Amino acid sequence: MSFADIAALTLHDVKNRLAQLAGRAEARGDLATMREAMEAADTLTRLLTYYRSDIGSLALEIDGHSPADLAAECARETSAAGSCKVEVDCSAAPTLWFYDETLVRMVLANALQNAKRYARGRITIEVAERDGFLEFIVRDDGDGFPDQVLADDTGTATRVTREGTGLGLRLARRIAEMHENAGKRGLIRLENAGGAVFRLLLPK
Amino acid sequence: MAIASEYTNTRLLIIDDMPEMRSSMRSQVTNLGMNRTSLAGSVREALDLLKETRFDIILCDYYLGGSTDGQQFLEFVRRRKIISRSTIFIMITAEKGYESVITAAECMPDDYLLKPFTADALKSRIDRLLDKKRRLARIDRLQDQELWEEIIPGCNEIIATKDKYLLDAMRIKGNALIVTHRYDEAVEFYRSALKMRSMPWAKLGLAKALQGNGDHEQAKQTLNEIVTETPRFLAAYDALGSLHGDVGDTEGALRILDRACEISPNALNRHRAIADIAEKTADFGRIEKAMSMVVEKTRNSPLRDLNDYAKLGTALTELGDAGKAIAVLEEAKTSFKDAADSTLLAAVESVAQHKAGNPELAQKALERAVQGDTKSLSEAAKLAVAKACLVHGRRDEAERMLKHIVQNNPGQTALHASITQMMKTHGDPERAELLISSSNAEVVQLNNDAVKMGQAGDLKAAAAMLREAAERLPGNPQIVANAAYALFLDIYSNGLDPDKLSDAQRYQQMLLVKDRHHSKLGEISDIAAKVQRKFDLPATS
Repeated sequence: MSFADIAALTLHDVKNRLAQLAGRAEARGDLATMREAMEAADTLTRLLTYYRSDIGSLALEIDGHSPADLAAECARETSAAGSCKVEVDCSAAPTLWFYDETLVRMVLANALQNAKRYARGRITIEVAERDGFLEFIVRDDGDGFPDQVLADDTGTATRVTREGTGLGLRLARRIAEMHENAGKRGLIRLENAGGAVFRLLLPK
Repeated sequence: MAIASEYTNTRLLIIDDMPEMRSSMRSQVTNLGMNRTSLAGSVREALDLLKETRFDIILCDYYLGGSTDGQQFLEFVRRRKIISRSTIFIMITAEKGYESVITAAECMPDDYLLKPFTADALKSRIDRLLDKKRRLARIDRLQDQELWEEIIPGCNEIIATKDKYLLDAMRIKGNALIVTHRYDEAVEFYRSALKMRSMPWAKLGLAKALQGNGDHEQAKQTLNEIVTETPRFLAAYDALGSLHGDVGDTEGALRILDRACEISPNALNRHRAIADIAEKTADFGRIEKAMSMVVEKTRNSPLRDLNDYAKLGTALTELGDAGKAIAVLEEAKTSFKDAADSTLLAAVESVAQHKAGNPELAQKALERAVQGDTKSLSEAAKLAVAKACLVHGRRDEAERMLKHIVQNNPGQTALHASITQMMKTHGDPERAELLISSSNAEVVQLNNDAVKMGQAGDLKAAAAMLREAAERLPGNPQIVANAAYALFLDIYSNGLDPDKLSDAQRYQQMLLVKDRHHSKLGEISDIAAKVQRKFDLPATS
């Protein structure tokens, strides 16, 4: 068995144990610990997904979905988690769009986890159709992205820091780029405008 | 904090082999206000609960510990109609897409949920799925009842609103067009769907519609495209396999199904399909391999199937390993105790014992196989009994049964071919072709006799004769059509008879189900309408 195979199996095992830990914490009403365990498990899920994409076994399952539903679901999950107020604006959202919902959910959940970590009190999710792309936009009112993250367009140079490994962003870019249709490709755009602004663009 | 919630009456079933996961999920849903939750630690426990209770939602972990996984379980309960379309089935997986393979639409879960998840995430998903089920409730009910004609207008209503259930309605409509053989419409429908986006399910639908229209080349090309673009879309391999099989390319069919088995080694029905195809060319080595695997995987599981054991027993016997065949059949005998099952096993055992050189045991098994009414048996069991008779030199009995199978399954060339094959190997090769042709000739003769009788004015006798034939050969559309027509005509001319009327209507319905394009249907509904007017009967649906 290769190191990668053992690593993948171990990740599964640790994830299951984190899930049980989360369950126990939830049962005794310790929601903070539950969240922590859940987020750790989510990180491992991202790592596994990244590994699958690396070895070319991450298959995209494109179908029509309601982006407004997905945004509402993610917002609900984030607001339930703590003190932040999450607002959703779907006024310019299309009824249906084509993407892999599980993967897009993973990207959004990660963006929201980050926003929650840095926001002062307010997060917004906007869903809109612009120029042949669907945009999921996550805004927070924190200090914004560090300059080196903004400067690094490809995400490949992002260094491992105390705040994280850059795994979330790398995976987000990969997932966005896997979404391709009629010569157009999905992408991630980052900017600072009164806080961090994370954009996931998916082609029509 | 028990909240009086919208879920007070929601019945939920949690299936997971790990006790801690079960109780953790239960406390999550209790927090959401669901108090009517049942827990199952195994497939067997789940099936027992499903026998007694109709659940609104099933949460099922993909890994269930034993030899059965969540996907096999789902296929089993959907194919056997143990759960209806109104039940929401959520598959819980550890990793995105790694376990999930895309098979036939009716065997897909309503949603996948990645572990671990919070109660809030679960609630969001459940609420979305409940909304969807509510929107599709009427269509789902019609699908459960297989009223495909009525489904199409129902789908059109949703499609016209262009709401977020547009694609769900489109999928169902496309399938209904195929099931009702409206292939031209289906081709056009799927082509326009594919203009929205290249979706594997729409491509698969297009391929099936093309195949229905006899355009095998284009169908094959479309399916090959799916296999290249979406390698995990296994439904395309299955369709490609059946396409190869239809045009007689058994080797090609087996090759493509083998590839699908490499991707998803646990799909029992695919191994069964492989055995069915191998049966056409009497490739007992392949049958043995496929059925050994299925028997192995379902041993002691509620998903085990008697037919698998019978096929394995037959294959082993044909391969010269009668001893092993007898052992397999002995195991089956203790595992399947239902009397209805025993005939098939006894027939297969009879041949195996004969080959093993145990004439007395063979004779005993044969007696068990031929006792009782053979009419209610499955076609597979009838074939097995006929074969056992042939092997024991009881030719007349065997031919009588085979003739009945041929007459009840007209036009099923694959079945006819396997009967010819059986006669050639075990009976009289000269009589093999004759049996098929004389069986068909008898049906033609019967119809002609009835028509003559009717023309000579004896409608009553003609109808009685066809009615008797329809009871004997309910699978023969020509007989059933003529019986319906003759009975209505008899009633119209000779007066109302409630028994005759109910049979006439039943035959008309049987014919509709079997072939809604049957050329005789128009005439039948005309005469049925005349009967209705003449005797002032309430309109039937």
